[in-house]
Amino acid sequence: MRSWRRNPESGLEAELRANRPEPSRELVDRLEMRVRTHGRDRRAGSFRVAFAGALAAGVLTALASVGGLGYAATGASQAVEKAKRVVHVQTVRTLHKSAAQDQYRKPKAKCRKGTHRVKGVCKRTKKARGVRFRRPPFTG
Amino acid sequence: MFRVDPLANPEPLIKRVYAYVAYRVGDGPDAEDLTSETFERALRYKKSYDSSKGEPIAWLIGIARRCIEGRRPSLEVSAEHLEAAADHGDLEDDAVRRIALSGAVSRLESRDRELISLRYGADLTARQIAELQGAKTNAIEVALHRALGRLRTHLEDDSPPVRKSQARR
Repeated sequence: MRSWRRNPESGLEAELRANRPEPSRELVDRLEMRVRTHGRDRRAGSFRVAFAGALAAGVLTALASVGGLGYAATGASQAVEKAKRVVHVQTVRTLHKSAAQDQYRKPKAKCRKGTHRVKGVCKRTKKARGVRFRRPPFTG
Repeated sequence: MFRVDPLANPEPLIKRVYAYVAYRVGDGPDAEDLTSETFERALRYKKSYDSSKGEPIAWLIGIARRCIEGRRPSLEVSAEHLEAAADHGDLEDDAVRRIALSGAVSRLESRDRELISLRYGADLTARQIAELQGAKTNAIEVALHRALGRLRTHLEDDSPPVRKSQARR
């Protein structure tokens, strides 16, 4: 009983270790179960994600091997084209041309005397060289 | 990156955490509740465990300490209750010994009790305790030595009633 008296330091330490309070078996089992199920739940979640990924990869590989991917891509592009046609709104162009519009349109600016219009620009009219004004002949 | 599961082998951890808590607050339902609470928190914050900072037991003891601090006012060990239990003549010698020790530990100062619980309950090394408390290993060793001395004094003070119970047997 008095082992710590015989060898005070080491005896007391041994007593403290030997008489360490112990949990009930029930508590140990309960906590152990809790810890293990918690880990299992988490692992199950990650396994589900991994399984879904592997399945998707498998399906893609199988499709690629039989040209299914190209077929699916063509189908998708065709569907997009069809959808574009359905959704596209056709605009109507209106032409405002009539006889009245020609008649009453804004008049072009007149060129001054001695000029004439060349490609929309008024330019001076050149006199022809060697041409002289002649008086009418005297008749009497 | 590969992560270490701190609760991979829970049974020895449960025993060490319980021993620490029981040395702190007394053996029984309160210690069981606190141990359960510690493991619930550990499961919740398992990702925060960093193996480079210490062993799983040190991490768990840190959680247990916070659990005890959170519930401290209602969890004082009743030394009278332990003495009354020690007076029962029909108790086994081991049980009497355990009760005498628990009674003596419960009469220690809070700091001494904490050190004894960490060293002999949780079975941490002086270095681990130093890391946990942010002190030097040498200072912890000295403090433990003194705490043991005070515990021995308490046990010697307790000896008459224990001897009486032995005499009765």
